[in-house]
Amino acid sequence: MASQIPNNLKYTKDHEWALIEGDVVTVGITDFAQSQLGDVVFVELPEVGTALGKGDSFGVVESIKSVSDLYSPVAGEVIEKNDDLEASPENCNESPYESWMIKVKLTGQEGIDELLSPEDYAGACEE
Amino acid sequence: MTDLLKTGLHAEHLALNAKMAPFAGFDMPLQYSSVKEEIIAVRENVGVFDVSHMGEFFVEGEEAVKFIDYMLTNDFAGAEVAKAVYSPLCRENGTIIDDLIAYKLENNKVLICVNAANIEKDYSWFEKHVTDFNCTLSNHSNNYQLLALQGPKSEAILKECGVYPEGDFVYYSAKEFQSPLGTVILARTGYTGEDGFEIFGNLELIQALWKKFMELGVTPCGLAARDVLRLEVAYPLYGHELSDDWTPLDAALAWTVKKDKEVFIGKEFLEDYKPKYRLIKLSLEKGIPREGFEVLDSNHEIIGKITSGTMSVTLGKGVGLALIEKAKFPKDKVFKIQVRKNIIDAEFHTKAFVSGGHK
Repeated sequence: MASQIPNNLKYTKDHEWALIEGDVVTVGITDFAQSQLGDVVFVELPEVGTALGKGDSFGVVESIKSVSDLYSPVAGEVIEKNDDLEASPENCNESPYESWMIKVKLTGQEGIDELLSPEDYAGACEE
Repeated sequence: MTDLLKTGLHAEHLALNAKMAPFAGFDMPLQYSSVKEEIIAVRENVGVFDVSHMGEFFVEGEEAVKFIDYMLTNDFAGAEVAKAVYSPLCRENGTIIDDLIAYKLENNKVLICVNAANIEKDYSWFEKHVTDFNCTLSNHSNNYQLLALQGPKSEAILKECGVYPEGDFVYYSAKEFQSPLGTVILARTGYTGEDGFEIFGNLELIQALWKKFMELGVTPCGLAARDVLRLEVAYPLYGHELSDDWTPLDAALAWTVKKDKEVFIGKEFLEDYKPKYRLIKLSLEKGIPREGFEVLDSNHEIIGKITSGTMSVTLGKGVGLALIEKAKFPKDKVFKIQVRKNIIDAEFHTKAFVSGGHK
């Protein structure tokens, strides 16, 4: 079954989505990612104020049997994290595009141009 | 890469859309629907695992029981006919070659079931010693398929299939008999802590039985669920809690080392051995202990490592087994686990995380 890839978002090859609103980028994992992971049972997110470089690991998402790193697609400072996911990690499976993980305030444009369009990401999922 | 081996049910796994993964040289089903649902099925209802990758050896002849009793640390001679015995298989220096179940089918016929990854290592160890006994050893790992039917409803399912022996068949019973589907070796054993059975048979029988189980609504379960289920009841897994580098006495298996037996391989060493390690059970309220994570005491000194860890679906928290240096075992029983950048308080358990329902 083809996974959902909303048109209003950008994507990474690591199966994260990014919503760009001015200089704030919201990051989560895609429908494809959650279906590959299976039941998500734990999410670990960084403290607000953490400075992230592009490609830095900012946390983990764990299924019953596996641990996967989350990588920041952009450079910036964490200004908000989704505490609801700590209590309800299964939301990542049920509604991956509502289950945002962090909001990052950009400190530069690094990484922005490398984000994939929905079409390119659909291609990446088929590889 | 060498080609992966396939069990006799490989096509069935693919037809069920299982997520497959290499395990001990075999292409094995990791999960079918969801690991969580498979675990719940086994704890509350009934599930079936294809574990045909495991090895089967037969020992036959007048001294079959004497030979196996000599090879194992646990008491096999004392077991009744039609009983199974779990035991480590040790070297003279006490280190663990494998852990296995030996089934006393008759006084002159024993089935041994070993871990898939250790088939060759175990077989050559048995082969080396069998020459001193009046019995024969044969490797039938390719002739037998093996299903584990596990969960509170497994007895009812087997009876519905007509694959159930006459008379009492309590926990750890084992019997070879004729069923409507053919000759079967049935044992009331398993690796989940629940009531359940392991069924050894040829390809036709096992394929027919699998089909019946599917028709009866038994949940097919993969190796991921199997690992969580065994960890919840704190059963050890070779390569994690047990290894070539330490003894059963280091790994909470003192109950399987019968030092008062007259003779067995490893007896002299194990009689005087003071364990270096202690295997313990820890859980976390928040976070999941994973293999390799360091275990610390209240002073944050490293005292051991997690050997297996997972999210317990039944408890809803992270659980793990840890091998602790015995000399550093904290008297205050305060344990912490280094989870990536954080040091988190762990709860020390003296009993298994989940008490299975086996009879």
